[in-house]
Amino acid sequence: MPVVNEHSERMRKFKNKGKDAAALRRQRVEVNIELRKAKKDEQILKRRSISFSLIEESLSPAEDKRNEQGVIQLSLEEIVEAVNGSNTELQLQATQATRKMLSRQKDPPINQIIELGIIPRLVEFLTYADNAPLQFEAAWALTNIASGTSEHTKVVVEAGAIPAFISLLASPHMHISEQSVWALGNIAGDGPLYRDAIINCDVIPSLLALVSPVTPVGFLRNITWTLSNLCRNKNPYPPLDAVKKVLPVLICLMQHEDKDIISDSCWAISYLTDGSNDRIQIVVDTGILPRLVELMARPELIIMTPALRAIGNVVTGTDEQTQAAIDAGVLAVLPRLLRHTKPAIQKEAAWTLSNIAAGPCRQIQQLITCGLLPPLVELLDKGDFKAQKEAVWAVANFTTGGTVEQVVELIQSGVLKPLLNLLLAKDSKTILVILDTISNLFLAAERLGEIEKLCLLVEELDGLEKIEALQTHDNNMVYRAALNIIEKYFSGEENPDLQPGTGQDGLYHFSVEKQDFNF
Amino acid sequence: LLFLQRVLLLVASDVDALCACKILQALFQCDHVQYTLVPVSGWQELETAFLEHKDQFKYFVLINCGANVDLLEILQPEEDTFFFVCDSHRPINVVNVYNDTQIKLLVKQDDDLNVPAYDDIFKDEEDEEEDSESESDGSEPSEKRRRFEEDVIERTMKRRQRREWEARRREILFDYEQYEYHGTSSAMMMFDLAWIMSKDLNDMLWWAIVGLTDQWVQDKITQMKYVTDIGILQRHVSRHNHRNEDEENSLSIDCMRIAFEYDLRLALYQHWSLYESLCNTSYTSASLKLWSVQGQKRLQEFLADMGLPLKQVKQKFNSMDMSLKENLREMIEESANKFGMKDLRVQTFSIHFGFKNKFSASDIVYATVSLMENIEKEGPETTNFIKALDSLSRGNLDKLHQGLDLAKKQLRAIQQTVASCICTNLVISQGPFLYCSLMEGTPDVKLFSKPVSLCLLSKYLLKSFVCSTKNKRCKLLPLIMAAPMDVEQGTVIMVGIPPETETSDKKNFFGRAFEKAADSTNSRTLHNHFDMSIIELKTEDRSKFLDALISLLS
Repeated sequence: MPVVNEHSERMRKFKNKGKDAAALRRQRVEVNIELRKAKKDEQILKRRSISFSLIEESLSPAEDKRNEQGVIQLSLEEIVEAVNGSNTELQLQATQATRKMLSRQKDPPINQIIELGIIPRLVEFLTYADNAPLQFEAAWALTNIASGTSEHTKVVVEAGAIPAFISLLASPHMHISEQSVWALGNIAGDGPLYRDAIINCDVIPSLLALVSPVTPVGFLRNITWTLSNLCRNKNPYPPLDAVKKVLPVLICLMQHEDKDIISDSCWAISYLTDGSNDRIQIVVDTGILPRLVELMARPELIIMTPALRAIGNVVTGTDEQTQAAIDAGVLAVLPRLLRHTKPAIQKEAAWTLSNIAAGPCRQIQQLITCGLLPPLVELLDKGDFKAQKEAVWAVANFTTGGTVEQVVELIQSGVLKPLLNLLLAKDSKTILVILDTISNLFLAAERLGEIEKLCLLVEELDGLEKIEALQTHDNNMVYRAALNIIEKYFSGEENPDLQPGTGQDGLYHFSVEKQDFNF
Repeated sequence: LLFLQRVLLLVASDVDALCACKILQALFQCDHVQYTLVPVSGWQELETAFLEHKDQFKYFVLINCGANVDLLEILQPEEDTFFFVCDSHRPINVVNVYNDTQIKLLVKQDDDLNVPAYDDIFKDEEDEEEDSESESDGSEPSEKRRRFEEDVIERTMKRRQRREWEARRREILFDYEQYEYHGTSSAMMMFDLAWIMSKDLNDMLWWAIVGLTDQWVQDKITQMKYVTDIGILQRHVSRHNHRNEDEENSLSIDCMRIAFEYDLRLALYQHWSLYESLCNTSYTSASLKLWSVQGQKRLQEFLADMGLPLKQVKQKFNSMDMSLKENLREMIEESANKFGMKDLRVQTFSIHFGFKNKFSASDIVYATVSLMENIEKEGPETTNFIKALDSLSRGNLDKLHQGLDLAKKQLRAIQQTVASCICTNLVISQGPFLYCSLMEGTPDVKLFSKPVSLCLLSKYLLKSFVCSTKNKRCKLLPLIMAAPMDVEQGTVIMVGIPPETETSDKKNFFGRAFEKAADSTNSRTLHNHFDMSIIELKTEDRSKFLDALISLLS
């Protein structure tokens, strides 16, 4: 029948729309992360510029003479002279003095040290294999310079530090090797350009060689963090073959018992899954999803957060990839996270759920079976507003892709009341999504011939007046969507049959109390 | 201040804000800037207006609202949204002060703001991470890390230092945020802006004067600040109006002229009768104690002393004998001195339109307030706002006259309420403060559900009470006043004002005190007003709230 065809055609369109929306939201999260980064950078910059006068002060000669820990204090001129001179004893003293200044808690004089022009010389010291103390002090000083702004990192890289540090990874002295790992982490953390510069110098084999059952925990933490920086950032993503080499080791590190190591390796996985479906596939293929889900259920925020982020990224992928996450048990953990006290976790969990709800109806069925509807409704009702918005998306996607039976079940779980309440939100985007969802619900009701009952239910929950009020909304799209619903379902003169009191049988089929809806 | 995009203008409901708004509108017109004006009477409306418009606008101008809370925290704007805040509310929230990207404050450099130093109240992320390593919050790891000196002793020192730093920070912020007060009038700030841009017009100058006068009428600034700012405006007035003085005769009908004057501190007297004005001006009514029989007698003696016939005094000022009016000010001042009213003369400005119309700045303030808080419903909430705004334009004499009539009603209502409160001993000492509550059913009680009117009433009542009481301790107390707000919802509006002393710095601590008392008793309060010392409260919660306040302030 042409009517049916047209209808299913419509549904298909809606479904696509749902997918687009999911993709859109994924992007939004990316933007957020980038903003967070930008903010942090800005703060660091701010701090430096504000404390500038203090630096001058503490660099004054009078201050320099103060000697705290028996380290010989030198003026900046003396440092330049000693570093460029040939006396190895003085070289070490000057380098150590530099390192001390750079590692004090407050206002490290990074710019001043750079202006002395000694960075190339410090990089040269890295190669003095017969003078381990000098190598170590230089490595530490350079690490701290590379920890500054991009400009600072650039100075270190352009002095040729990358190959020098990479060869030091194999140093017989563990503390020098560890310091080099740290320095390389700072350089890689600067952005995709230096990250790939390091990868192209073949850092990965030497780095991975340092991971062994006897590596001390502190050292291992540094390695994990540096590895995570090698996986971090996009535009472009890290090279595929590098990712494939790092992954097995990351998988190993995720089995470690140290929380920081687990956390950083989860973050690395979250970076790797934050991309196109083929990038996600590489991670799925390692079979790590069950472990991720297990970590997602851990109480510690530093573990739960990145694990949830990674799983959330995976379910933005294909239906098969999403299925892999479901098979790994994600649906059993999500209810707890949807009820978490921290709004950020609620939001991330709801976002994850919304992407699962965007899947085919068999995945929606699993979502129902695993008891996700009650926490979803709770969140919609009482959650943090940002989490509520994600929950709205979850419901929207559900109604787009779900079967009529599934939609009925959704309504029976009490979704309508909090959903309609959110029409009072000030965010027009959210209102639009809700109105779309309501349209979807009516489409389902239409197929059951139950439009009148849904109308009544909406009216009973004060939804009609809210939708009516939206006809005066400033946003044109909201106004039109509201008008559309009113015209389509609420405009006809009151049919006397529909008044409460008549036709009682099945009047509350949609309501929560009655579960025995039959088709 | 050049925008290419449409701007959203959020304006609070007070006369100074309206005046600032008029100046800014004129400037926008000069520069062809498109804008949308939204009046906001409180935080809720501000938030709603922001949420409704945030999709269409990137630039928001806030007038007399927004400075004293953390705007970014409350509104959660996108990164590319910018706020320009011109607000006389003090103290300014420190986050607003130190945000140099999204929030631009329009403040005078020499206003003593006493903002705490950045390093005293903010510590940067790096330091925090160091100390809170153990309680990580699950945020993303940093991209780069510096290696510090690893010295256990140093670390514990750091922790102790940090605790001390935090304690100091709390202390500094407490001192800074304890008192609410007002800085330079927003209308004056806007005028300054216009002046710097060389776009200042005589009309704008008049609005600046009205803005400042509003602060004075509402008792928001000290006498000192008022006189200083009058001086500043006086220089502008002579700059703008000297040309007319030379050619007095060629003054055309539609020309306007502003003049500096030592005028009588009698409300609306040029548009009323002298008698009515004397009776309904807070200063004279309180000084003569007009609520008592003796007071009325004193008024008669006062008039007799001036040698003014009662018939003349009671008729419209405009119709008084010219011969009497000539030396009127001097005569009144002389007699007033004898009756202990030494401050009857004030420095102010007046405006002339052509020959016929003359208004003093305070006339305009009273008229505008009355239009703004008119309780006779005429359409939606914003009608009053728009009407009050319009009345400030030169061409709208009829609206202004309507405002003057309303203002007379308002002043009478205030005076009658003050008299009945004092005669029936409704002002009671609660220990640390005085308290007066208006009952439902009191005449004109509806008028006092509006914040500006209630504040005016409170100030007048406190002045009168101080003159009437013999209790020396009570003279130094602040006052809390409550009036029914919404009978159906069972709420009262409550305002706290600082003590009425000659040297008062006009600083108000009730804002913080209200917050604390509400917190400690779980009272259902609504801190919706831009002045933190005005709140709404559920009637049932009033007594426990007051009890908490008493113990807090004792």
